Amino acid sequence: MSAQVWVVGAGKGGVGKTFISSSLGITLAKLNNKVLLIDFDISGANLHTTFGLSLNEKNLRLFFEEGKNLADLAQETEIPKLSYVQGFWDYWSNGVIHQELVKNLFEQAEKVNYDYVIFDLGAGPLPAHLELFKIAHEKILIANAEPTSLEKTYRFIESFICHKLKDYMTKDCQKTLQVLLREYRKTNHNGCFSFRDFLKAENGVSVDHFDLLNEKPLKLLMNGCRSNLDKDLGFSIKSVCKKYYDLNIEFIGSVDFDNAVWQSVRNREPVLIEKPFTPLAGQFLSITKDLITPEIHANLFKEVV
Amino acid sequence: MEQNRFNYYDILEVSPHCQQHEITTAYERARLTYSGENPAIYTMFTDIEARELLKLIEEAYSVLGNKTLRNLYDEKMNQTFVQKDDVSFENLKHASKLQSTELPKKSNNLRVAYTKNDDFEQEIVKTEIWSGPSLKKVREYKAFTIERLSEVTKISSYYINAIERGDPAALPARVFVRGYVGQIAKTLGLEEKKVCDTYMKTFKESLGK
Repeated sequence: MSAQVWVVGAGKGGVGKTFISSSLGITLAKLNNKVLLIDFDISGANLHTTFGLSLNEKNLRLFFEEGKNLADLAQETEIPKLSYVQGFWDYWSNGVIHQELVKNLFEQAEKVNYDYVIFDLGAGPLPAHLELFKIAHEKILIANAEPTSLEKTYRFIESFICHKLKDYMTKDCQKTLQVLLREYRKTNHNGCFSFRDFLKAENGVSVDHFDLLNEKPLKLLMNGCRSNLDKDLGFSIKSVCKKYYDLNIEFIGSVDFDNAVWQSVRNREPVLIEKPFTPLAGQFLSITKDLITPEIHANLFKEVV
Repeated sequence: MEQNRFNYYDILEVSPHCQQHEITTAYERARLTYSGENPAIYTMFTDIEARELLKLIEEAYSVLGNKTLRNLYDEKMNQTFVQKDDVSFENLKHASKLQSTELPKKSNNLRVAYTKNDDFEQEIVKTEIWSGPSLKKVREYKAFTIERLSEVTKISSYYINAIERGDPAALPARVFVRGYVGQIAKTLGLEEKKVCDTYMKTFKESLGK
């Protein structure tokens, strides 16, 4: 059986990508799955810090530069069934990571002897991030309630759409798309509802690829929610994406703001290990269960209806 | 799918088969999103656009949030579904405006035009014993559809059907049936007491009491 590959990304830094990906990993491991976390923050690794582990030479650099196998780079953590692969810590030595290498990494990740492989990405829509987002089985986007984060979340989604549509377009077509997107932003839409309709109405561009985008939707997770209003932003973002791009995204849940989170980072111990019986742990449990067994919840819902 | 792009369900982002309470939840969320200074629309929609969207959302909810209007709307969408090859924003807005002004009028106007037939009028006056089928005849003569009658009398079309069939198994307790028959008779311009008494007599007999 091949591993399920999840990627955790965000438009903005500091919204809790590493916290969420490590917590999802821990929760999956608690649910008796073999989990491999990969620190893919190419601007500087810090997944190990949340686990209280120290840096060593055995990291992703060996994969990219010396062609080592991903499986050989896995290191154990104190948590049973949870291993991790360290990220770069010499960003300067590396240039751009080629798409081929990213694809290769993904293929290896699929084949490793784990149930789940979780990529903890760095911030922003870098090409390598977008490529992983495109091919992963589960794409999780983190945002928090700050306007800066929301803004960057939309920029990320837009980059993702353009990146994904690239595969189906010629170079010229891409250029047209970019010009049109700019135009769409400027105009008051001439009664067109979404970007997709704008494309169709104004330019007759075929838009069936949007359906492909909607097949495996992005999943949005709101982190650091201080009130119900913050949580509701998840629904708002979903609605805006639908209306603006005609893109379906799924809002999979929200995680409350909790002072224990930053405190435990200082203690270098994951909060779910330090404080396993908190509402926070419960929120991760339900989000994770939703992600791994959506059919159970769907069936329950059907029965109720 | 594409034809149905701009319908109220799409505006509220709910499925056409969803429960009534889901519509209310969706509406409240949408209103929260597009009114005031919600950070989620920042850099995506301008104030003017948001206001316009909000208008649409209110309009959608004013129809879908009301069960009767929602049913009518569903009917209308089903009827015109095949012919509509372009359900554009403007067209639908226009159509929905027409509809929202049409609907209240429709329910205020109780009288429906029908062609008078003196022979039948005579027959109505002469009828002494009323039953389901004869009520049905009068209803059809007065050009009332079951749905229309149901809308005016607020009796569910299921019960009206059952009354016309004289099917006690499908009907509630006798006192309710009597009330329903009275309502129907009044709406159809019949002598309420006579119709009720004679109908209920046969009805009681059919119950075996």
